Amino acid sequence: MIEVNALEKSFGAIRAVNKVSFTAPDGKITGLLGPNGAGKSTTLRMLYTALKPDGGQALVDGWDIVKETTAVKTNMGVLTHNAGVYERLTARENIAYFGRLNGMSNKELDFRIDELADMLEMTEFIDRRCKGFSQGQKTKTALARALVHKPKNIILDEPTNGLDVMATRGLRQVINNLKDVGHCVLFSSHIMQEVAVLCDEIVIIAHGVVAASGTPDEIRHSTGQDNLEDAFVQAIGTDEGLL
Amino acid sequence: MSQIQIKKPISASKAVWTVFSKEVIDNLRDRRTLTTILFSMLLGPILLLTLMWFAEKKVKDETDLVSAKAIELPVVGADYAPNLMAYLKSNNFEILEAPENPEAAVIDGSRRAILVIEEGFAQALRNGKPAPIRVIHDSSISGLEELAFNQLQMSIRRYSQTIGALRLQARGVSPQTLNVIQFNTSDVATPEARNSQVLNMLPYIVIFSIMMGGMYLAIDTTAGEREKGSLEPLLAQPVDRAQLVLGKWFATCLYSSATFLLVLVSFSVAFKYMPIESVTVTLTAAKVAFIFIACFPFVLVGTSAEIVLASYTKSFKEAQSYMGMVTLIPTLPLMMLILLSPQPDWSNMWIPSFSQGLIMIETVKGEALAPQLVAVSMLTSTLIAGVFVSLSIWLYKRERILG
Repeated sequence: MIEVNALEKSFGAIRAVNKVSFTAPDGKITGLLGPNGAGKSTTLRMLYTALKPDGGQALVDGWDIVKETTAVKTNMGVLTHNAGVYERLTARENIAYFGRLNGMSNKELDFRIDELADMLEMTEFIDRRCKGFSQGQKTKTALARALVHKPKNIILDEPTNGLDVMATRGLRQVINNLKDVGHCVLFSSHIMQEVAVLCDEIVIIAHGVVAASGTPDEIRHSTGQDNLEDAFVQAIGTDEGLL
Repeated sequence: MSQIQIKKPISASKAVWTVFSKEVIDNLRDRRTLTTILFSMLLGPILLLTLMWFAEKKVKDETDLVSAKAIELPVVGADYAPNLMAYLKSNNFEILEAPENPEAAVIDGSRRAILVIEEGFAQALRNGKPAPIRVIHDSSISGLEELAFNQLQMSIRRYSQTIGALRLQARGVSPQTLNVIQFNTSDVATPEARNSQVLNMLPYIVIFSIMMGGMYLAIDTTAGEREKGSLEPLLAQPVDRAQLVLGKWFATCLYSSATFLLVLVSFSVAFKYMPIESVTVTLTAAKVAFIFIACFPFVLVGTSAEIVLASYTKSFKEAQSYMGMVTLIPTLPLMMLILLSPQPDWSNMWIPSFSQGLIMIETVKGEALAPQLVAVSMLTSTLIAGVFVSLSIWLYKRERILG
């Protein structure tokens, strides 16, 4: 469970995140939706402790993201925006590296990587070096790397970026599976349809501020629109940055 | 999917080890890293030894030429001094007709030296006065080209001395009277120490190789990782950023020191088997081991400086262009070393690269180095490396590292 309370972050004079609050519960998929540059990535970066907030507070399973970074990171799997893989290592070695950094033994890793390869349908290329991988294969490797230590909380920053239709469908399936076993999944996207299909809870962010949040129904309700796209445009006040 | 559980982070040493071994394996598969190491290992000895081989060959050729073939010597007014001509002929000179304009012939380089016997030569010689001769030569020509001139000067001086001695004897004076001082020298330089070219070049090449050996990893593991987008996921792992930097630095040290050792070994082998008579340097296994251990702190300084720079830059290319400069900086003290050839003492043994250069030179010469001085060199270099590493850790802890 991730609880965010009035989180703030500025870069110089630019206020990237301005008092953002929301809760991403366990066993649910929470989507951060917003146009490019809305502050989604900055919010997520603070949650996975790459950035320090200027104000506010956030808890991951009760751990403070500023004071208890190690505990937060230990219980979190992160797929960063445009995550790169080590091209001279095989997919398996990429995943094993992060597993080891999370304290997993070789025996645990062998078993876990095979499990992930089955789940993400990557058995075909799991022992190939990543150089020349398609974007889909790279994303799967990076996702497997994020999931290797079975983190309870999973953060995915625009995971479908650069994926084709089939790969996107596959990823959606994976995210649903993660939810079904009780993970807290928080992911960001600027694609409204994707969020509508997948999410139980939606947090719409624009200009660093939460414009609306709740279940898709609640959002339609609060904005007075029948259709989620119109609700979205209504909430952020513009269709700029939308697909 | 198995059940969810709360995890505990790994120990610091294990984290450092994990990062270290990943970087070592990753770069072992990079042909560029291995090419750099191989190149540094071979380049130094090949460069140095071919240069010396050519120099030696030239000396040999010229000296062979001098002793075997007569030196051609055009003479103006040879008729005035038939005895001197006979003496020069017996001293391996071939007397030739002088060209029309002797000065011009020397200036355009077709002749190296021309002897001019002045008209009053015979008269002066008969009267026991200094008999005038003149040699036309070009003093701006140096090195082996001067052999003919030097040979001529020596021969004429000997001739002059012989005649002078005969004149003294004729007057009943011992020629010894003129030898006021007997001038002897004794050179205390060891045979190794006389190889000044080798001794000057060796630290230069070795220090440069150390820098080159670490450069690729320093860039690849920091600026490169950042550019490829794998740094951010790595920073999201439950490992302190200091441990990441240490793991990366140790991997860089390993490659750098491997290059260092290989270059020393290849020099050692080259000195032993290269057919160069003028090089009498030996680099025994014991000397290699001593140099490697005593100069190892420079590996720490060099690689940590590279890591600082690569952590600061944003891309592989940017890092590479700055790295050229960083690689040159340690060679500057070495130039001072060549120019000044100082003795190791407290005033200079704390300077990185300078002190390691001195350690290499003294060790190769076979001269004893005070252990305290070696300790000072090792200690200060290690401390400076510590400062650089702390600086890179600080750079890694800034948010700007994400770019």
